[in-house]
Amino acid sequence: MTLRNRLFALVSAAVILAVVLVTVTVSASSRRAFAEVEAQRTAAFVTQFRRSFASEGARVVLALERIAASDAMLRIRAELTGGTDYAPYVNEALPLASSQELGLLDLVAADGTIVSSAHWPARFGRRNAWAIERPPASGSSRDFLQLVEVPEGNALGVVAVHRLETGAGPLYLAGGRRLDRELLDALTLPPGMRALLFQDVEPHSPRQRLIATSDGVVSNAAVEPLVAQVRQEGREQTAVVGGPGGDETVHAIPLAGRDGRVQGVLAVVSSGRELVALVDRIRWSGVAFGGLGIALGFVLSYLVAARVTRPVERLAVAARDLADGDWNVRLEGMRATREIAVLADAFETMGRQLVDQRERLVQTERVAAWRELARRLAHELKNPLFPMRITLDNLRRARPFPKVDFDEVFDESIETLGASLGNLNTVIGRFSDFARMPTPEFSRVVPNDIVHEVVGLFRSQLETNPGGAIRVSLDLDSDAGAIQADGEQLRRALQNLVLNAIDAMTGGGELGVRTRRSADVFRIEVSDTGQGIEPGERDRLFTPYYTTKQHGTGLGLAIVQSVVSDHRGKIWVESTPGRGATFHIELPA
Amino acid sequence: MPRTISLWLVLVSVAAASAAVDAARPYYGGTLRIESQGVVRVLDPAVPVDPADAAPRDLVLPLVFETLVGIAPAGGIGPALATSWDSDAQGARWRFVLRSGVRLHDGSTLELAQVAAALRQRYPDWLIAVDGTSLDIHTGAARADLLWDLADIRNAIAVRGPSGGIVGTGPFRVERLDGVHLSLAAHDGYWGSRPFLDAVRIEFGRTLSSQLTSLETARADMIAVRPTDVRRLTQQQLRVVASRPLEGFALVFEPHRGAAADMALRRTVSAAIDRAAVVRVLLQGYGEPATSLLPTWLSGYAPFVLAEGGARLSRAAVSALPVERRTLVLRIPAGDSVAQAMADRIAVDARDAGLTVTVQAPTGLAPRADMRLIRVPLSVTTPDRGLAGVMGTLGPRTLASATREAAPAPGSSLDAVARVERSLLEQHVIVPIVHVPALYAVRERVDWLEGPVVLPSGRWNLEDVWVEPDRVADRP
Repeated sequence: MTLRNRLFALVSAAVILAVVLVTVTVSASSRRAFAEVEAQRTAAFVTQFRRSFASEGARVVLALERIAASDAMLRIRAELTGGTDYAPYVNEALPLASSQELGLLDLVAADGTIVSSAHWPARFGRRNAWAIERPPASGSSRDFLQLVEVPEGNALGVVAVHRLETGAGPLYLAGGRRLDRELLDALTLPPGMRALLFQDVEPHSPRQRLIATSDGVVSNAAVEPLVAQVRQEGREQTAVVGGPGGDETVHAIPLAGRDGRVQGVLAVVSSGRELVALVDRIRWSGVAFGGLGIALGFVLSYLVAARVTRPVERLAVAARDLADGDWNVRLEGMRATREIAVLADAFETMGRQLVDQRERLVQTERVAAWRELARRLAHELKNPLFPMRITLDNLRRARPFPKVDFDEVFDESIETLGASLGNLNTVIGRFSDFARMPTPEFSRVVPNDIVHEVVGLFRSQLETNPGGAIRVSLDLDSDAGAIQADGEQLRRALQNLVLNAIDAMTGGGELGVRTRRSADVFRIEVSDTGQGIEPGERDRLFTPYYTTKQHGTGLGLAIVQSVVSDHRGKIWVESTPGRGATFHIELPA
Repeated sequence: MPRTISLWLVLVSVAAASAAVDAARPYYGGTLRIESQGVVRVLDPAVPVDPADAAPRDLVLPLVFETLVGIAPAGGIGPALATSWDSDAQGARWRFVLRSGVRLHDGSTLELAQVAAALRQRYPDWLIAVDGTSLDIHTGAARADLLWDLADIRNAIAVRGPSGGIVGTGPFRVERLDGVHLSLAAHDGYWGSRPFLDAVRIEFGRTLSSQLTSLETARADMIAVRPTDVRRLTQQQLRVVASRPLEGFALVFEPHRGAAADMALRRTVSAAIDRAAVVRVLLQGYGEPATSLLPTWLSGYAPFVLAEGGARLSRAAVSALPVERRTLVLRIPAGDSVAQAMADRIAVDARDAGLTVTVQAPTGLAPRADMRLIRVPLSVTTPDRGLAGVMGTLGPRTLASATREAAPAPGSSLDAVARVERSLLEQHVIVPIVHVPALYAVRERVDWLEGPVVLPSGRWNLEDVWVEPDRVADRP
C-alpha cells in the first residue's frame, strides 16, 4: 500500500471514527433527553388525570346537592313524611340523574334499601351497602372511588353520598359518574401516549377488566400483568412491555377507594414511537451528515494525502530512477514542506555524491579492467611466447649441430613455433569474438530443444570424461513451449555453462539441466556436482577474463552473462563449496 | 255580631252545598276525546280481524252494537237486547224475549226478524224462529255456555240497511271511520237513555307516550296508561281508572329448556321471582302476584303454590352448572316497556339465585331464547272459557312441552278446569308472574254517573260519562 493510500486510509478512518462517535453521542444524548421529556409528559398526564378526577368528584358532589335541592326531591321529602312506602318513587332516580348528567344514582332508604336506581332501575328493594357504610352526618360526603353494581357487573365510578332528612328517616342520594372512555377522552393525551383504565371484577379476582381506553384498542394483554401487580401491591409501577408496534413504557397508577383498597388502575402507555421516530430521525440525520462528512473526509483526506505524499512520491520515483541507473535525476521545482524539503535536498546531495562516486568507481574499475586485461593478455600471450623463446634458444644452440641434427631440431622448432603462433592466434580470436558479440536476433525458439541439442553435442565427452563418466539428468518442463530469443546465442550460453560444469567435475559426477516456465519467466538451471564455488569467487565469476581454471580465458561466463543480459534476463549462481553449483538463468517468457 | 257570623256561615254553607251539587250534576253535550294505541279498521262484528286488532275493536264495538245478553258489571250474564230467556234442561233449546222499542241508529225499530237474520248469518246451523216477541233458538246440541257465546261482542246484532251500511242499537252511532279516527255521535233513540255526551272521538295509532302527552296537554280526555306512569299522572291530579286484572304476564320456557332435566332450574327461576315487589313497585299496586294462570276473580279457586314446592337449586348448585346452563336468554316483545321493566326485575331476582338472565327485545333475527315473557289476555267469561283462551294464547308448541291435558270443554266443571290448569303449571314450563288490569287515565273534566268510565270487565262505560264543558273547550 502506498504512503498516499495509507495516509488516506488513516485520515479517513479518523474522520469516520469521529463522525460515528459524534453520531452515537448525539443519539444517546437525544434518547436520554427525550426519555426525560417522556417521563415529564407522563407525569403531566397523570396530574391532568388526577385533576380531572378531582374535578369530576367535585361535580358529582355538586350534582348531588342540586338533586337534593330539586323540586322533585323536595316533593318526595314532603310525601315521605307520612310513611315509608317507597314504591311510588321507583322511577324517580332516572330523571334526577339525567338532569345532572349522572350515570349512577341510587335513592337509598335508611336501611340501605334501594328505593330507585337510575343505572339499574330493576334493582329496587336490594341493598346498596356502600351508600350507608359511612354515611355523612348531613349534606354530601367527599367524593370517592367505588365499584358500583350495574346490570353488566361492576362499574368503576367517582361517587358521593348525600344525606337527606325526611319524615320517614334519612334518605341517601348515592350517585356519581362512571370512569369510562368519556373521562379519558376529556383528557389531552400527548401524541404517542394512550391511557387504559382497569377495574377489579371482584375483590379477589385473578383478572381485572379493561373498562376504557383512549384509543379504542381493546387488546392490551401485555399491560395486564403489570396492572395485576399494581393492584396487588397498591403502588405505582413502571415497566417496559412488548407491544405490537414495539416496546412500550407503561406507568401504572393504583386508584384506591374510600377504604384504601385498589379499585382500579390507570395505565399510561407510552409507545415511544414518536420518541423512537425522533431519535431515528436524529440518528439518520447523523448518519446522513456523517456519511456526508465521511465523503468530504475522503476527499479532503485524499487531497491532504496527495499534497503530503506528492513530494514523497516524487522523491521515491527519483530514488527508484536513481536505483535504476538514472544518475541525472533532479528534484528541481518540487514544492514540499520543510521536512520533505530537507529530505529532497539530502536526496539531491546524495544523488550528486553518488554520481561522483560512480564516476570515480567507473574510472577505478576501468583502470582495474585494463590492468586485468593487460594481465590476462600478458598471461595469455606469455604462454605461447615462452615455448617460442625456448624454441628460438634451441635453434640458436642447434646451429652448430650437424645438419641432420640441426634439421631435426629446426623442423621441431618450426613445428613448435607454428603451434605457438596458432595458440596466439586462438587467443587473439577469442578476444576478438568477445569484442564482437552481436546484437541478438529474436525469434520463436524452444529452449528444451536447445537443451537437448547441447547435451547431445557433449554426450560423448560426458561419457568419456577422463576422471569419470558424468551422468546427465534432464528435468524439462513439458509445457515450457517457446520463447522469443536468439537461438544461436542461447545455445552458445548453454554450451559455455555445460563446458563449465564438465570442467568443474574432473572426477565425474552429475550434470543437471532443469527448465521451468511460469507466467512471465522462463527459467533454466544448470547444475553440477563439482567442487563448488567459494563465496568470494561468486562476485567475480562473471567478470570477463576472470577464471579459476588453469587454461581458461575467463570469457565463458562473461559471454553467458552478456547473452542473458542482451535477452533482458538475469543470471546468478548458487553454490555450496564441495557440493557443486547451480547456475540460474531467467529469461522473459 | 254572632247573628252576622251565623248568617255568613249559613250563606257559605249554602254556596258550598250548591257548588258540590253543581259539581256532581251531569252535563249533556260535549265530546269525549279518546286516544288508542290500536287501530280499528272494520266495525262489522261479524267480520273476523287480526288478533292484534281485536282488542281495540272489542272496546269500540259495544259503543255501537249490542248483544242479546251482556256481561253484567258485577260479573255473570245480564240482559241486553233480550230482557229474559230460558232453556230446556239440556241447553239445546233457548227462548229469548226481546226488549221492546229498541231503535236502530237509522231511527227504525229493531225487529225480531232482523235479530234472527243476524244470528243466522253467524250460526247457520242453528234453527232460529221468531215467535211473537220472542226468539226461539235450537242449537241441535247441548250448549250450556250459549249465553256466553251470545254475550260475545262478535255476536252483536248488526243490521245492514238499504244503503248497505251497518247499523246497530248501541248508545252511539258511527259518524265516520277513516282508519285513524272514529267519530261517534250519541244515539238519541237509545233504549236505555241518551248518553250525556254528544260525541266520542277516538284517535287510533297513538303510542302510549304520545297519549300521555296528549292527556297532559288537554288534547285527550281518556287514554290507556302504563303502571309506570301512574305516579306522574297522580302528581298532576289526573285520575287513574283500573279494571279487574284482565291480562297475565307469564314466563314460558322454550321447549329446549322444558325437559325434565331442567325442572329444578325452572322451579328455581319461578321461586326466585319476587312477584309482590313487581306488583307493589313496578305495577304501582295495580295488579296481583300470580302463581296461577287464571286470577281468583275468574277461577273462583285459590291460586296454586306450585312454585314453592319441589326441589330447587341452591346457589352453589347453580354455580356448579356449566355457564351455558345457568345463563338464560329472556325474550320480550319489542317496545313493551312494562314487559321490559318486569324482565329486568326477573333478571335481578334470578341473579340472586346465581342465574344470569339476559333480556332480549329483538325487532329482527336474534339468538335463540331460553324463555319468553308473554302477555296472556284473560277472557272475562267463565273459568273454562278463560283457561281455554289462555291455552289458545300459549299455543300448541308451548302446551306440548307443558302438559298433555287438552283445554277444558265448554261448560266443564271447576274441578276439571283446576285440574287442567294445575297440569299446565306442574312442569314449570309456564310460570305465572302477575295479573294486571287495564289502566286508563282521564282528565278531571270527565265524570260519570253510575259505575266507572271503565267497568271491571274492561268495557268502556261511556253512556254514563259526561264532560264539563266550562273547563276545557271542545276540540273537533
